[in-house]
Amino acid sequence: MILNFNFLPKYVGMILQGCEVTLILVVSCLVLGFGLGLVFALFRQSNSKFLRGFSSVWVNVLRNTPFLLQLFFFFYGLPQLGISTTPLVTSIIALSINSSAPNCEVIRSGLMSVKKGYYECAYSLGYSKFQTFVYFIIPISLRLSFKSLVNNFVNLALTSSVCYSTTLMEITGVAKTVVGRVSRPFEVYLLILILYCVFTYVISFISKAIDRKIHIVL
Amino acid sequence: MCLFLTETADSFNMDAYTQLTPNDLLQLLQSVWVTLYVTVIALAIGTILGILLGISRCSKNKILKYAPLIIIEPLRNSPLIVQLFLVYFGVPVLTGQVLPLYPAAIGTLALNTAAFMAVQVQTSILSIPRGQWEASLALGHSYASTYINVIAQQAIRILLPQAITLYISQLMCSSLVSLLGVMDLSRLAKFTATRTMQPFLIYGIISAVYFALAYPFTKLAKSLEKRISINL
Amino acid sequence: MSMIEVKNVTKSFKIKKEKTMETLTVLKDFSVNFDQEGVTVLLGPSGTGKSTLLRCINGLETVDAGDILVNGLSVNHKKDLSKIRMDCGMVFQSTVLFPQFDVLHNLTMSPIKLLKMPKTEAEEKARILLNKVGLASKEKAMHNELSGGEQQRIAIARALMMNPKALLLDEITSALDPEMTSEVLKILESLAAEGVCMLCVTHEMQFARHVASRIIFMEKGSMVCDTNAEDFFTNARQNNERINKFLQFIGE
Repeated sequence: MILNFNFLPKYVGMILQGCEVTLILVVSCLVLGFGLGLVFALFRQSNSKFLRGFSSVWVNVLRNTPFLLQLFFFFYGLPQLGISTTPLVTSIIALSINSSAPNCEVIRSGLMSVKKGYYECAYSLGYSKFQTFVYFIIPISLRLSFKSLVNNFVNLALTSSVCYSTTLMEITGVAKTVVGRVSRPFEVYLLILILYCVFTYVISFISKAIDRKIHIVL
Repeated sequence: MCLFLTETADSFNMDAYTQLTPNDLLQLLQSVWVTLYVTVIALAIGTILGILLGISRCSKNKILKYAPLIIIEPLRNSPLIVQLFLVYFGVPVLTGQVLPLYPAAIGTLALNTAAFMAVQVQTSILSIPRGQWEASLALGHSYASTYINVIAQQAIRILLPQAITLYISQLMCSSLVSLLGVMDLSRLAKFTATRTMQPFLIYGIISAVYFALAYPFTKLAKSLEKRISINL
Repeated sequence: MSMIEVKNVTKSFKIKKEKTMETLTVLKDFSVNFDQEGVTVLLGPSGTGKSTLLRCINGLETVDAGDILVNGLSVNHKKDLSKIRMDCGMVFQSTVLFPQFDVLHNLTMSPIKLLKMPKTEAEEKARILLNKVGLASKEKAMHNELSGGEQQRIAIARALMMNPKALLLDEITSALDPEMTSEVLKILESLAAEGVCMLCVTHEMQFARHVASRIIFMEKGSMVCDTNAEDFFTNARQNNERINKFLQFIGE
């Protein structure tokens, strides 16, 4: 039971390329997923019954169906509609939509923990509803939900591994290819596992530092 | 080979092949069974293991407190699919032993569940105010007795909604075992969608099946959470 | 024309009593005028609509019937609400300082953003006001480093930053202990002496006696008595049994 990492020097370049693709995927989905989540969270707080219902359905469907099927839905479905895209774009679409659901929940709970007094205080100083939201409510609630948003980001990064099934050459996809050539699955997958763990720890560390700076107590 | 082709070329009916048949309904039921079978067993094992690890993490003994991290941390901070590949493809090559599919898949899913469950159990137990421990010990209970009689009930009440949410999330993750070859709902979905060339319909239907399985529990978790926050 | 004209205002709330929805009429056909001078104190038993009146003036509650004009602008026109609120600075019972900013930024933010005041001018004014409320040293403090009384004083300063024509004060000392209450009341006294126009809802009788120039007594959503302070504590008390009972009840 000796572990043999001899394949490493030959395939390092490939693995790094895979990391690059993963990073592009994950960062794009971070931004898009957050934006979408914010939009749906605001829908949920709006006065329109339709928007509230739509947002609720959106979140419930995404949270109660598997990401794998959501991914295949877009990967096999979009070409039928005549839209042809690369695996990367399809993965970004599917993954950002998927991550918008937990982001929406987190942002919403942040918004709800800002008490009525804050709104009234801002209104009585003369701010409009829109200004109140933009200058006070959203910044405060984002600071409150920062930790949970980072948690969602980590989940996003881990879920991104499923995208290899669209033939995307992100880390897991590269790993599969390397295993096919080198026939040392345990070592390769162990390495990939460690890479993901390292990534998670780095994100955790950075987010703790940021949280210390922006932390507020209501 | 040619003989085979010419013989069947005339009799192959494309329309019949791509239509949904009653046989598909039977296959659907079978795959629901497989999905549930895999998930429930994995969750059961994972829960028990997770509770043990979680309680261990609450103890003051250095070994009991930090040893579980060896299992918990890698499993929590890496993707399930990589864990599945590592176990199902990696371990047999390393040990020379063949690993059957179902135990490998269920076992990995169970370990993954245990890792997340352990953290939830730990936070639930630690969130019970110190005063409860002190009152119980002052009355003469031992640590074990305190756990059983005082802490457990309160911890379970806090734990339950989180655990249900975890179970739902693991049900969703169980779809990944289809990538190893398990004939569950997701594998059926891929086969059928490719065969009938109707991805939207088939993935939609199978997603609805998952939704029907999961949504009642989501609602249950939400109502339990509300009950707890009112009581506290 | 008075600064604030309250014209036949009626306001009701729907509250759930057991299994039915009851309508509670808090203000009944209420009319009053306020000029930009002096300190007016609204007195009366709990639930008589005193706070509701202030919140209606400020537009935080909509009126069911009637109108309120603040410098000619009506509270029923949504577009004018922002201007009305800048003219009537309001301080609440439970103060809310914005948690992500320090005290100075809390004070300067609104004039800079809403009145387009230049930053240096705003900061200078903020420091003057901080001095006035006795908290010049707390410029860099965050909200959770301040006591309740200090937070209320900052809230008063923040409201004054917007150059309001009048201050609306809704039971601002009710949630404070006696020591902090007297801190805040001292500040209000000094502001009154400088001529700041104030409209207070309060239960602090000493304050009403010594600082108020006009007292309005309300009961069950209607005006009972509207007179100057001196008259209230002497003649009105003698002539009106309800006023007498109220003052006795609170120990005057």
